[in-house]
Amino acid sequence: MRDKKIIKFTVNGNSEEREAVVGETLLKFIRDELNLTGTKSGCEIGECGACTVLLDGKPVNSCLVLAVELDGKDLLTIEGLSKNGELDRLQQAFIDHAAFQCGYCTPGMIMAARSLLERNANPNDDEINEALSGNLCRCGAYQEIRDAVKDSAKK
Amino acid sequence: MLSYEYVKCTGLSEAVDILAKEEQAYPYAGGTDLMVGMRGGKFAPKKLVDIKTLPELNVFEENDQGIIIGAAITLNQIACHDSIIKNIPILAEGSHSVGGYTIRNRATLAGNICNASPAADTAAPLYTLDALINIVGPDGNRSLPVEEFFTGPGQTALKNGELVQSIFIPRPFPAGKGVYIKASRTGSVDLATVGVAVQNWGEHVKIAVGAVAATPVRAFSVEKAINEKGEKSSAEAAKLVNNDIAPITDIRGSREYRYHMVEVLVRRGLEQTMGV
Repeated sequence: MRDKKIIKFTVNGNSEEREAVVGETLLKFIRDELNLTGTKSGCEIGECGACTVLLDGKPVNSCLVLAVELDGKDLLTIEGLSKNGELDRLQQAFIDHAAFQCGYCTPGMIMAARSLLERNANPNDDEINEALSGNLCRCGAYQEIRDAVKDSAKK
Repeated sequence: MLSYEYVKCTGLSEAVDILAKEEQAYPYAGGTDLMVGMRGGKFAPKKLVDIKTLPELNVFEENDQGIIIGAAITLNQIACHDSIIKNIPILAEGSHSVGGYTIRNRATLAGNICNASPAADTAAPLYTLDALINIVGPDGNRSLPVEEFFTGPGQTALKNGELVQSIFIPRPFPAGKGVYIKASRTGSVDLATVGVAVQNWGEHVKIAVGAVAATPVRAFSVEKAINEKGEKSSAEAAKLVNNDIAPITDIRGSREYRYHMVEVLVRRGLEQTMGV
């Protein structure tokens, strides 16, 4: 029998109270319990960044966080960016620049980039590279990703 | 999925008590090594003791004696700390070179040294700064120089039930320049194939190297040549580093490659910090 804990948190602006299994990762909890499958599972060892979400505003690898740690915290996933069916400007910039091919890294990239833009409204190339250093794109769309982040910052 | 208990402690003494009394209880802070290790079968905890919100471990302050970095302080906090960037940039560089930005939002300095990888990026800088490791345990507190803390690959001087409370960087801070130079397979995220810290202290130099022995080690032969024998050539001094190391071949590089690279990086470090 696995231990369970009741946790209270906000996800994408909504207050929630759920049961979380001790030992389950935040990534699995987001995908399987909250049914928010925009957050992707890649390497599950913190190397690829596909599972990046914002926890209390900071980008973290959700594969390396325990679901029970969500208690009392604020979670933002890729699903929380669009408002009333309208994409947010960073999402739109990724589309405008075709900043992906397969798109698997995109939610993580966008979450990490969003956090950067909150810290630094006008980042240069080096600052973008640094902020996205933990996010890998196997299709190699890095140049377009950087352009999308810069373009979004201008708007 | 792994099965274990999780407890979030409210006081340091409670955490120490659990760690001392319960078998297979592990302290859990950033979790960036522990979670990966659990998944890979390296660790099999029965209980995770979450210590990252304990006030005693969140101390991060500078005083007349030096800088105290609590065990729950993340690598990003250290890499962005004004006084550390200004006074001991070698530690900011070492902290900054661990993993990617998102990892460093969780990973801690204490965790990096407790994981005790010979390649730990923060270790070599700490060796050149005379850092002290403050330990708390069932028998009270004790402090160890960082060089005595590492005892082997993945091995530390921590006894059962003990945990690192903080890392202390004593004053005076170095008068001269310090650099941490890392050779790795990719520009970021990867562990060091070779890591070299060179710290100019004004009157003398301290050098530590990582990933070329069972623990990070000081390059005493190089230090002695420069500090005591007045060796002026960086190239000649750097050759002596081979006396201080015992590298192995692994996935990141061969023994021969490490012998070569460590000499190159020590020379570059000396050129950048000592101007010789």
